Amino acid sequence: MKAAAAAVWAGARAEAVQLRRSPLLVMLAVIQAVTFLVLVSLFGLTGSRAPTALVDLDGSDIAARFVGSLSAAHHSFALQRMDARTADAELHRGSLVAVITIPRGFGDAVRRGDTVPVPVAVDNVDADLTDDVQRAVPTAIAAFARDLGLPGIRLHPAELDLVGHDTDFIPYLVISALALDALVVAGVLAAISVAREFEGGTARVLALSPVHPLAPIAGRVVTTGAVSLVALLLTWVLVVVGYRVPPVNPVEILAGLAACVVIFSCVGVAVGALIRRTLPVTALIFGIALPLYIDSGALEPERFDGNLIWGLAHTSPVYYAVGVLEDAAHGLRVTPEPVWLDMLALFGWAALAVAVAWNVLRRRIVA
Amino acid sequence: MPAPEHDQPVVRLDAVTCRAGGRVLLDDVTLAVDRGRVTGVLGPNGAGKSTLLSVVTGLRRPGDGTASVLGVRLPARGASLRRRIGVVLQETALYEELTTLENLRFTAALYGVPNPRLRIDAVLELVGLSSRADDVVGTLSGGMRRRVAIARALLHDPELLVIDEPTLGVDVDARHAIWSHIRVLRATGTTVMVATNYLDEAEALCDVVAVLRDGRLVAYETPAQLVARAGRCIDIECAPHAIALVGRAVSGVDGVLRVDATPSGAAVFLHGDTPADDVVRRVLRDAPVGGFRVRAADLAEVFRALGAAPATT
Repeated sequence: MKAAAAAVWAGARAEAVQLRRSPLLVMLAVIQAVTFLVLVSLFGLTGSRAPTALVDLDGSDIAARFVGSLSAAHHSFALQRMDARTADAELHRGSLVAVITIPRGFGDAVRRGDTVPVPVAVDNVDADLTDDVQRAVPTAIAAFARDLGLPGIRLHPAELDLVGHDTDFIPYLVISALALDALVVAGVLAAISVAREFEGGTARVLALSPVHPLAPIAGRVVTTGAVSLVALLLTWVLVVVGYRVPPVNPVEILAGLAACVVIFSCVGVAVGALIRRTLPVTALIFGIALPLYIDSGALEPERFDGNLIWGLAHTSPVYYAVGVLEDAAHGLRVTPEPVWLDMLALFGWAALAVAVAWNVLRRRIVA
Repeated sequence: MPAPEHDQPVVRLDAVTCRAGGRVLLDDVTLAVDRGRVTGVLGPNGAGKSTLLSVVTGLRRPGDGTASVLGVRLPARGASLRRRIGVVLQETALYEELTTLENLRFTAALYGVPNPRLRIDAVLELVGLSSRADDVVGTLSGGMRRRVAIARALLHDPELLVIDEPTLGVDVDARHAIWSHIRVLRATGTTVMVATNYLDEAEALCDVVAVLRDGRLVAYETPAQLVARAGRCIDIECAPHAIALVGRAVSGVDGVLRVDATPSGAAVFLHGDTPADDVVRRVLRDAPVGGFRVRAADLAEVFRALGAAPATT
């Protein structure tokens, strides 16, 4: 036991020295954690706010209240006030999705109870954004009519919230991005560390030593895990400060991030031992990260995507990681399974990865 | 009653056969390596040298036959046997980003070497690299890396040292330095197994040589016996037109096997017990010669002499 502990410590120290002499690798690990965060933010930013011109030809207080209703429509428009000519030019140049025009006499007509047509010109080059606009305008009109108590408007949804607060798309995404970061950063660093042992032939030297090769490798992974955790914590700080997403439960998110690093490091060890080459392991982890991420409840709770996809998601460790982190950050239950079960599944993945690595190292080194 | 361990062979292979992917890597090899001797394993690339050493070090399990090392039957799972064996692999397998000292410190921790710093200083002294302790291994020459690998294998003071191709890819100076380290080890009583492609290396280092061809042991004898069988060779530097004169000069001389043209002139092959002096004298008298060198015959000559003869163990 003492020999194994000494080997773990020696491995950790050797990895620390090697990483210290490869500052670029460490820097890239931190940078890639941040770039993934930015990447998924862009997913949200590109789809959630359609640039829409507002041309107010009326200028009455009722028109102003209608503009307020339009602005309050969730995930719909990024309203920009313009005159009619500029709006038309911008729409044809392709820099706007739609132009909403409040006609002259709008306020008077509403007061009289007349029907008022509100022209909406749409650039239907992207059906997804067009749909967003088409859905949002009637919603805004209904909200506007309800606020004014206008007759003839019967639409009155009674919202009953399950969660005590709304969570915007971007804040939801950036938390799930932390799970993706954990997989990519911890997985890649651990996999590289193990694959390097095979590429340099030192795996055979480890096999000839009196300790199991997994002992010094465990030490190495402790060091790569520490680097990964630092990268993730920096990214999390960016989430809290830059994206203004303070966690509901800071202790839980810290524990969740630490657990993700441990688990995805173990997965990295198994991948490194199986592939044994640094370049392919990096490509493989990057290659599997995005599909695992998308099918993990990263964009919305996975159960909303149908039973087949939801069932498949259970085979991905990222699914459970997203479940834990969204609960910690937003207090959201995005998996039907309780958080403790998500955590248990993650540790099951870690145990499986260690078993694979143990077995593969034994088989790969001794013919 | 079994013999005490120090009287038993350090390595004993009995009818060992190894196969991989339908190929026979070792074919029914039987040999015994005695304590305190340097044993060479000689053969061309692909003859099975590295496979044989892999069996001895426990990196490969024999398919058939039995193998024992230091009295322990293989495959042995315990750590105790590994602590008694030092291995220098064909590839130096060092951590390139670490210094010599850091590499050795890492290995010392794996083997639980007591007083590691003292022991590291001692082995670095032995291989003549004390002044390069703080150099990053990636910056060392091939010969120096090889010496670091030897130092690493000696750290835990093994009873058996196994070296695969000790001078692979190193220059002449480094080659002689490595040979001298191995001779020091022999003098201190360490049992050494050395795999090599070169007969002159085996002659310089080994007490006994196992010759492998296509996985089979075709000879197991002293280097002197092997050289006597394979003969010697005189490399003669001369112009192309002088090759015929060299051939005429040695024609009919007892013990001269044949004369071959070489890129630098000619090579005269002699039977094992033929003195070279008389042949050299004749060549110098009858042909314009730039220089000459008498050396052991190469592996091709060894195999030509051995034919398919069975091993004499």
